[in-house]
Amino acid sequence: METYVALEGAARANIGIRIMIVTVVAVPLLFALSGLAIRYAAFASVSSDTGFAAYAQALCRWDCAWYVDISEKGYERFPIPNASNVGRWGFFPLYPLLVAAIRSVLPFPTILIATITSLALSYAACLVAWPLVGKNMRAYVLYCAFLLSGPFSFHFTTFLSEPLFVLLTSCVFLALKRSNYLAAGVASALLSATRLVGVLAVFATVIHMYEEYRAKGGSIVAFPRWLLGRPDLLVAIFISPAGLFAYMLFLHLTVGDGFAFLHIQRAFGRVAGNPLLFLWDGLSYHPNAGWLPTAPQWSAMTAIAGLALCLVLGARRQYGAALFCAVSIILPLTTNLASMVRYVVGLAPLAILVAVLLSASKLTFVAALALFLAACYFMTVAWIGGYLALV
Amino acid sequence: MPWSEALRSPRSAVSLGGYGLAAALALSELAILTLALNPDVNGDYRAYYIDRTTTCLNRDAIGSYTPGRTISFRSDGARQTAAMRVCGWSGPVADGTHSLGESSRLRLALPPVRGGLLATLQVAAVIRPPQLTQRIVISANGVRLHQATVSGAAPMTVAFFIPQAALADTGRLELFFDYPDGIAQSPAASNIYNRSIKLISFRLDAL
Repeated sequence: METYVALEGAARANIGIRIMIVTVVAVPLLFALSGLAIRYAAFASVSSDTGFAAYAQALCRWDCAWYVDISEKGYERFPIPNASNVGRWGFFPLYPLLVAAIRSVLPFPTILIATITSLALSYAACLVAWPLVGKNMRAYVLYCAFLLSGPFSFHFTTFLSEPLFVLLTSCVFLALKRSNYLAAGVASALLSATRLVGVLAVFATVIHMYEEYRAKGGSIVAFPRWLLGRPDLLVAIFISPAGLFAYMLFLHLTVGDGFAFLHIQRAFGRVAGNPLLFLWDGLSYHPNAGWLPTAPQWSAMTAIAGLALCLVLGARRQYGAALFCAVSIILPLTTNLASMVRYVVGLAPLAILVAVLLSASKLTFVAALALFLAACYFMTVAWIGGYLALV
Repeated sequence: MPWSEALRSPRSAVSLGGYGLAAALALSELAILTLALNPDVNGDYRAYYIDRTTTCLNRDAIGSYTPGRTISFRSDGARQTAAMRVCGWSGPVADGTHSLGESSRLRLALPPVRGGLLATLQVAAVIRPPQLTQRIVISANGVRLHQATVSGAAPMTVAFFIPQAALADTGRLELFFDYPDGIAQSPAASNIYNRSIKLISFRLDAL
């Protein structure tokens, strides 16, 4: 009789696990489909064209065109053709390289392949986030809705660096959660080849190593010596920026300037300055008429909200993630507010934190979910229309 | 412990391999950083992107010109002026070719000229009250020739003499326009977007 009860219990647990796995896999799939439907409806409302190819092309706005060019033509040498002073060097190579690799196998237009790849990467980012939200189903649903059917879902489903960046960031923090430093290092290396700020993940790795060392009773002063005695940790640290250094070597060999990705920012009109002044300038850019904030005001408010969320991460003792996100916001903020909304919403630890916070009660969960889905439509219309804050 | 002994223990061998890999990564990154800190680029690249001493990125362009012809720098002359506009220009549009940044360049291939040239330009100032004037410092082939002040929204004629000494034997005339009073788009904006003048037409006459 006891054996029967134990077997029945095990069978129930097994069924429970299976249902959970199916749910975890199905939730992002559902939001991928609903997001596609909502964004397509938004596209159809402003365009006379129809079809997935036209939709994919319509959502390819702003920096998307640069990634398409890199994927199809690679990087220019100097002088830049067509008497231009704006080169593609500022856009990191991993994602366009990945799309180019897929295109070499599948005979479809670049933007079509990139759109499907972005959807797949964002879907994968959701799956990786399941353990990161503490297996909290409500938070998981909100996070998946945010990425795939949310107000900024076009950033994660067109040809921008965000889909791969979010996936790899989640991989880094999942590896750190499991204290798998080598995996974190490899994911960081890929992250540093996706966007410049990806290299900052190495600081989160070192902080996690330090926390783990301290938890085992190690003294502060002996940390460097302990670290030097662990070759596996040293490999994890030094492999983390490998993607960035590989790109620098490529630029040195082709353009003659390993820092071309930084120097090209001059041609985009980015000038180094005080982040506080940029924020103040943005906030002071009042609308000429009406009450709706201007694009610079949205950008400044998003940066401030992002930094506030970093403080919350810090308060929740997620120091590595807090530092990674804070510096990822402050670094571009030292040049201006351009693309700030995209940079902030593309920081996975912040989006996960928001999902966890909003899932605290049923009411906020339902309200946030409804808001995400409704905003997806209107924000996609704004994105297609070229609204500056979403750049 | 000798190396041979260390390699005999699998754990030590893995550890040594780890140190070796970490060292290889660190040294490679150091080497790449050293390369990046010593860019192998030409003067034009360095001046524009690295030192930021100019807003006008020189390019390999030259437009042929025969003295005695007036060239329009409005939209209708776009094709004719394309090769002359080296850098520091935006457009052309209906009201002329707008200067962009702190300086602009024109480069012309001329037939042999004796006795110098008279340059006549139609120029309008870009103004934003209270600033109502724009100074233009004009040099030819590196020789400073003229300073003009244009004011108001209406076009003005700027004329100056280019002596034979300033004309290169190669038949190449490079005109530099420097704008000390350029208007920035905003206090925080890059100087590559400064606005100063609109060039409407250009003419050279042999003397």
